Amino acid sequence: MSAVMSIKSMSIKFATPRGLLEAVRDVSIDIPAGSSVGIVGESGSGKTVLSRAAMGLLSGSNVQREGKIVFDGKELSAMTREQVRNEFGTGMAMIFQDPMTALNPVRRIGAQLAESLQIRLGMDKKAAKIRSAELLALVRIPDPEAMLRKFPYQLSGGMRQRVMIAIAISCNPKLLFADEPTTALDVTVQSQILQLLSELRRDLNMSMVLVTHDLGVVAGNTDYVAVMYAGEIVEQASTVDLFANMKMPYTEALLNSIPKINMQSGARLQVIEGRLPDPTQRPSGCGFAARCSYVQAKCTAEHPPLVDAGNGHLYRCWFPLGNTIARKQ
Amino acid sequence: MPKKFTIPTYLAFGWLTLAGLMAIFGSFLPVDSYQTIHGDFLDAPPLTGGHLFGVDSNGYDIFSGIINGARLSLFVAIFTVGIGGFIGSFLGVTGAYFRGRYDSVVSTGFNVVLSVPNLVLALALVAVLATNVDVNEAVAPWRRLTTLMISLTIVIIPILGRIARAATLAWSGREFVTAARSMGMRDRHIIWRHIVPNVLPALIAVGFLAVGVVIIAEASLSLLGVGIPDGASWGGMIARGRNDLEYNPHALYFPIVALALTVICTNHVGDVMRGRLDRREARL
Repeated sequence: MSAVMSIKSMSIKFATPRGLLEAVRDVSIDIPAGSSVGIVGESGSGKTVLSRAAMGLLSGSNVQREGKIVFDGKELSAMTREQVRNEFGTGMAMIFQDPMTALNPVRRIGAQLAESLQIRLGMDKKAAKIRSAELLALVRIPDPEAMLRKFPYQLSGGMRQRVMIAIAISCNPKLLFADEPTTALDVTVQSQILQLLSELRRDLNMSMVLVTHDLGVVAGNTDYVAVMYAGEIVEQASTVDLFANMKMPYTEALLNSIPKINMQSGARLQVIEGRLPDPTQRPSGCGFAARCSYVQAKCTAEHPPLVDAGNGHLYRCWFPLGNTIARKQ
Repeated sequence: MPKKFTIPTYLAFGWLTLAGLMAIFGSFLPVDSYQTIHGDFLDAPPLTGGHLFGVDSNGYDIFSGIINGARLSLFVAIFTVGIGGFIGSFLGVTGAYFRGRYDSVVSTGFNVVLSVPNLVLALALVAVLATNVDVNEAVAPWRRLTTLMISLTIVIIPILGRIARAATLAWSGREFVTAARSMGMRDRHIIWRHIVPNVLPALIAVGFLAVGVVIIAEASLSLLGVGIPDGASWGGMIARGRNDLEYNPHALYFPIVALALTVICTNHVGDVMRGRLDRREARL
């Protein structure tokens, strides 16, 4: 299967007063055309930086990039700023985490929707207005014409996120980044939005990268999953394979920390003890060693490589789960 | 829903409108020119001989002076705040948006200008720019006026520029700016369509305050003798009348009251505007 985007050994470092902060470390991932890829990890694991960098939205003099990004047959990392900008909107688009801040508070919904249609697609004012209403209908907003005249503060969080989605898909992107699209929303709205995204993806034939900290969100909405920890991909597989055949203790710990419906009331929620390693001073061994319940001597001494278990299931662990030796000790 | 304006706000609008009308249509009023000398009515008190506000020791009609002064004071204030505000906002907004070395140069420049007290700076500029090599040769009034306005503009640039820069710094870090970028919008479009509408309320509010600052600065410079020549502005009338304070106080009262009212009103309106225009953000 051809990949709409392929990232090769990308590293992102930020120069900070405390030293070089390595937010993303040697990440390679392919986004197959027409599929949905989930990127999972806890806060600070580098998933947002990865998605922003993949799209070329990271700017600033303190950012150091390495690696290669190929989008739609073109190498983004070798393109000028102007050329990358031409891919924005029509090639790739992004939905942001917080719909409260991702819309301009002083401009009407209609103006914000129409601007990309007019500027990127060259529509005239009238056509852009008609198309805006269509887009709002597409994301299931009732009475789209009236919505065009409203300001963001007049909308609920779920509505705003729908507007954000409408803006993101307005120029028919091939690849849609959804950076925690449901984190700021409550659970019932969350499932509606996720369902909407899945349907739109199918109807518009887009690929999607779904960045989230919630394995539950990933389970029902993606074809492939990459689990990130401390800036690295620690496990990567098709969604079905990942949940059936988990290799990384970290993935398991993430799954165990989701509250379950059949949990006894008063029972303690399982958590992952400890914190992420300081990104300016990485441990020499496995980044997760300090928090892992299966930790062995080798884990703290040597950094595990990403290995393939066959069938494209990658993991970064010396003693993967399902391995009887590791389980015994 | 927007609240109704309070009575003081209506009064402030009323006075500013009146001053504005005086400035625009004053020359069509059936009053004598402010330069006409009424030799028969020297030091006449108000309401004598058809002189509503009286006549000063030089024989100038004070009512005519007030009307003419409104034109000059307001013209100087609005012009300098307009030009200075535009330049300052442009520098501040672009500096904060693009950051980097350009921003360092801009904000350092602002700080250098701000480090000199307004009045001292304007005085120094006027003193240097509006003199002839031969000191006995008079400087043309238009040149003194231009120099005065350039000096006041330089004073205003960092005041508004700093506000624009601070507001832009806050707004350009917002997600909607990144969102606009992620849709392929150009920087010029983002600044104009996304940053400026958000920064404008603060600029309008401070702009009104700056009008007050300029009116006072111009009056102070007139008092020091380097303002608009021939005592044509309100500040100039005060400067001319101050010597005769003991036996002709009304020559001072009227321009002082006009000046004070205008400054109070612009400050008040600026305050009200800020509250009014910030509302959308507050309700977010």
